Amino acid sequence: MEGFNDILSRLYEMTAISTLADTPAFLLMYLIAFGLLYLGIVKKYEPLLLVPIAFGVLIANFPGGDMGVVQADSAGFVTLSDGSREVIWDMPLHKIAHELGIMNYLYYALIKTGLLPPIIFMGVGALTDFGPMLRNLKLAIFGAAAQFGIFAVLICSLLLGFTPQEAGSLGIIGGADGPTAIFTTIKLAPHLLGPIAIAAYSYMALVPVIIPLVVKLICSRKELMINMKEQDKLYPEKLEIKNMRAVKIIFPIAVTTIVAIFVPTAVPLIGMLMFGNLVKEIGADTHRLFEVASNGLMNAATIFLGLCVGATMTASAFLNLQTLGIVVGGFLAFALSIASGILMVKVWNLFARKKINPLVGATGLSAVPMASRVCNGISTKYDPKNHVLNYCMASNIAGVIGSAVAAGVLISFLG
Amino acid sequence: MENLGLGFLLMGVGMLTVFCILLIVIYGSRLMIGLINKIAPEAPAPAPRQAAFNAAPVLEAAVAQLTGGKGRIVKITEL
Repeated sequence: MEGFNDILSRLYEMTAISTLADTPAFLLMYLIAFGLLYLGIVKKYEPLLLVPIAFGVLIANFPGGDMGVVQADSAGFVTLSDGSREVIWDMPLHKIAHELGIMNYLYYALIKTGLLPPIIFMGVGALTDFGPMLRNLKLAIFGAAAQFGIFAVLICSLLLGFTPQEAGSLGIIGGADGPTAIFTTIKLAPHLLGPIAIAAYSYMALVPVIIPLVVKLICSRKELMINMKEQDKLYPEKLEIKNMRAVKIIFPIAVTTIVAIFVPTAVPLIGMLMFGNLVKEIGADTHRLFEVASNGLMNAATIFLGLCVGATMTASAFLNLQTLGIVVGGFLAFALSIASGILMVKVWNLFARKKINPLVGATGLSAVPMASRVCNGISTKYDPKNHVLNYCMASNIAGVIGSAVAAGVLISFLG
Repeated sequence: MENLGLGFLLMGVGMLTVFCILLIVIYGSRLMIGLINKIAPEAPAPAPRQAAFNAAPVLEAAVAQLTGGKGRIVKITEL
């Protein structure tokens, strides 16, 4: 009988139940994982990213599973299972896998090196059409105004006591660009990667709620009814594009060169974005590269990125006041970015003859193409004939470039 | 307070950089479009293909029937 009790006791210790009973914080993490899975699967909020992230959260929080990411301290030390401490950067990858589990292997090989966000950016580039921006070049400037939220929240975060690196990572959520937010956070404050990625992707998924909210607060009905096509007829664009294919091929090469000269730290993002776009625009000759960049490679990168980001959200790393600050600050960054884009359009309209619908400013943050679709929905609600999609896409795509440049500036100064 | 100064500096430098880069992209692209329009305007589109069959007699017959022989086709334009 004693032997049987011993076996039962060992079985109990083998399972995660004993640790779960001692540390209820894990149960809270499961609830968060289930909540995110619900949002991804049932509500379809960015399911391609929220589902892997949520599943990563789930598997990272099973005691004994060794799937949670172990963050190195500021000196690069991690604590191993036998209690000894080693500098993570001196550990070969096979030792990381053996001592800390495969998720740490993936995290330190693919995420901490900054490899996956640029690969995803390459896929985004392969799926992006710069045509609407090239046809409405002037509107691209609103992609710059909408980056104001990044820096405003950076200052607010500093006032709340975040370090400059943490504040920069928090502010970049306002760029509304997942890979950019992750890339910047990896460089500046890797210990905040989980909550920042979750906040960035959650708010991107909530673009259909946040944009109408901000627009309703600061735009009048008259402004929202400005018809861009009628304005085009009244004040036609003088520059006509005769050879769009040539322009589209030269554009990514030119933009990469310009950004590389002025903000070299943004090149991993902008360079890969433009490379992906270039292989798309060349056409049949590079079609195989386009296929890989926009499908297989991007999807594989998304899986590993999502799982690893989720795995950084262990109970000890996630359940603290900083996370709450990130959730609130992220929303503020998003809302301010939208508002600043709109306000710049309003100022523009004070001086320009050709009026611009303020919704074009609201799409200056990235979140392509969802932000443009949402704004088109708002404009057609006021006037069913007023389609602003193509105009919004111009500032929306410029916002991708703008947020990557802003990230480059933050990394240069704070990295 | 020192950090706050850094924050405002970053805001100034960051917004200025983003605006400058996008302005360069905008005006650089306009310049590029102008050059391409001059150097390599797109080859003229190929002539529209001949219709598979001559539709004129059919249309003339239909118009004659509908108008009692009074109407006639002056011009047929492909849309």
